[in-house]
Amino acid sequence: MSDSGAGMVSWVLNGDPVESPAGMTILEAAKAHGAELPHFCYHPGLSIAGNCRICLVETNRSPKPAISCSERISDGLEVQTHSEKAVEAREGVMEFQLINHPLDCPVCDKAGECTLQDYSFDHGPDESRFVEKKNIRHTKDLGPTIKIWGNRCIVCTRCIRFCDEISGTGELCVVARGDRSVVDVFPGIPIDNPLAGNVVDICPVGALISKDFMFQSRVWNNEHTETVCGGCARGCNVTVETNEGFVKRLMPRENTDVNDWWMCDFGRYGWRYAHDDRRVSVPRRGAEAVETELEAHRDLGELVRGAWGGSKKVAIVVDPFLTCEEAHLVGRVAAGTGATVGGWLPPSGDELTFPGKFKISGEKCPNRRGVEAVLGQEVFGSQAKAVESMLNSGGVDLVIVFAGFPNADCPDALASAVGKATARVAFTLFDGAWSEAADLVLPSASVFEKEGTYVNEDGRLQRVRSKDRPGDAQLAQPGLHSASISSPWVTSELVALQRALVHVGDAERSLSAAGVFRQLADSNEHFKGQSHRGIPATGVPLGGLAPAGVGEGSES
Amino acid sequence: MTDLAFSKDAMKEYEWMLTRYPNKEAALLPTLRIAEREFENLDPAAMKYVADLMGLSPAKVLGVVTFYTHYRREGTGTYHLQVCSTLSCALRGSEDVCAHLSAKLGVGLGETTDDGLFTLSKVECLASCDTAPMLQCNDDYHEGLTLEDVDHLIDRLREEAKAGGAA
Ligand code: SF4
Ligand code: SF4
Ligand code: FES
Repeated sequence: MSDSGAGMVSWVLNGDPVESPAGMTILEAAKAHGAELPHFCYHPGLSIAGNCRICLVETNRSPKPAISCSERISDGLEVQTHSEKAVEAREGVMEFQLINHPLDCPVCDKAGECTLQDYSFDHGPDESRFVEKKNIRHTKDLGPTIKIWGNRCIVCTRCIRFCDEISGTGELCVVARGDRSVVDVFPGIPIDNPLAGNVVDICPVGALISKDFMFQSRVWNNEHTETVCGGCARGCNVTVETNEGFVKRLMPRENTDVNDWWMCDFGRYGWRYAHDDRRVSVPRRGAEAVETELEAHRDLGELVRGAWGGSKKVAIVVDPFLTCEEAHLVGRVAAGTGATVGGWLPPSGDELTFPGKFKISGEKCPNRRGVEAVLGQEVFGSQAKAVESMLNSGGVDLVIVFAGFPNADCPDALASAVGKATARVAFTLFDGAWSEAADLVLPSASVFEKEGTYVNEDGRLQRVRSKDRPGDAQLAQPGLHSASISSPWVTSELVALQRALVHVGDAERSLSAAGVFRQLADSNEHFKGQSHRGIPATGVPLGGLAPAGVGEGSES
Repeated sequence: MTDLAFSKDAMKEYEWMLTRYPNKEAALLPTLRIAEREFENLDPAAMKYVADLMGLSPAKVLGVVTFYTHYRREGTGTYHLQVCSTLSCALRGSEDVCAHLSAKLGVGLGETTDDGLFTLSKVECLASCDTAPMLQCNDDYHEGLTLEDVDHLIDRLREEAKAGGAA
């Protein structure tokens, strides 16, 4: 920052000479220098509206306060963010913002993460001078997932700009004017697009409310886990919010290399299967529940031991919901037993790219590329065919199937193939033909219960995290059913596979996901030099995996 | 949802209008004027027609129509009485004009009489300050009003309606 090179602007922020790249707005440049300014209508992902005026600052360029979110920095500009004049200007704006506001924080879902609340605390008067009647504006459904409390709307137009610029669907507008203005939809054309949920996130107040999250929990009680969405190969960065072990909502996390500030509704509301009562949560031998998980894992270990050394014909069917770490463990089992490994992908959906560049992948699983990077490029291709014909031609001694498909969307080929082996193990989220035919059924972990890494469609390595870190928590309490631990989560494949390997004698003890990843990084070109700790919050491009192309296959 | 369409003449006018503005969107206001004339008022079907015609989102058209007070909205009576309430008129008694009309017609502001004849609104400056107080009835200005003038106007309009033709 010391060279005032081309394209840099020298200006003064609160008395300190600073430099910033030309073209930046005061608000953005000040933020880069550590001075955050309040803002309602400004959003880094949307065009500049400059309508709320809560970002006012004092400058040497005009006697009137400047709108910092729209005014650009220039040489010699002097900005005061907290001078008496600046603060007074913002206090004035705040007072007007609150004139018609119902101040119903106690029943508002946004309370606790509402910028109006925050700025009111910073800038608001402690007493209202407004004695007139407040305006009443509509409370109504705007679409199947979204409701508006018009009285809370501050008409920042963020939601409208989102629908115009990012989703390109244009369902929202401001109706009427002045203090009667409020957001609405055209009669008969509700807001109903694959990105609609984002308008609730970016509404700075509690005007737009997600019906899915409405009255579900107070936001400050939620625990936050930074992970990625498992809905498709895009791998949007998300925060999973849980409360007493249950998912309450998913929120997008900023990652300008993947999902910007957004996520799609399919991913956002796609968590319910994890808490579906029909999920397989207890291991079974055939139809009979196994008393403890440890016992079931020993069964698995016993079957693997019987096939160790390549004396038996073994097939392993993987799913693209496995983490890279789990795939690595599958690779170890396959190496020890000489198994053939292949797998099926869920049916693909439409790939959608929106005017704001946000993309939904047509590949409805999170880790095809990761599993391929670990188990070979052909694992879901010719290898799947090989496994299928091997099973159909009979004589397979042991088949281990991973069917972590949400909502029991299991490919048909898998179901019909499983029944044809002598010994059959199925990891599954839901029961289906594949698990009904199995001798040993083990619960699969959902994306929300996994610890490890996924590789998205661009070859980006990203961390998957679980609130209860089953990889660790359940290792610490072996022998218990997940159902008897205070959390509803199930034990992941990561744990089961390691217990089997320990049983065989191929591993000394079970490791955390990070430990398994170390083995993977040591043995696989693509992952060389990576570690869980070293992966940034927004992920890292993986060596040798070109975006959307075909990387080099490598068997582990 | 709609089989509304501009007449040939209206379409010609619309196309000519487009040539007078830098882009389509900018021609929305005058196009709405045409639609108002063609379809009597700007109900959702009319707004939708204009949106489709101009390649704009229906929501955008709704936002524009509701921003202004001077477009004929759905349910507007035969005679739309818009009383100016900005400074000069306010000083010269527009409140009284409003109150008088409200009592005489038995409707509040923004309401329409049961017979569908009159809609009463209070609007901002109609740029006729020199003749305050004034009101606009459909396309006509009525200026320098006294309460008697208002009575006469209403009587005349009632008769006109009875005779079978709105101005
Ligand atoms: S609903 Fe929310 S985001 Fe939309 S204009 Fe109102 S305050 Fe802004
Ligand atoms: S685009 Fe894919 S990864 Fe992103 S939120 Fe939607 S389903 Fe999840
Ligand atoms: S944030 Fe600058 S005017 Fe709204």
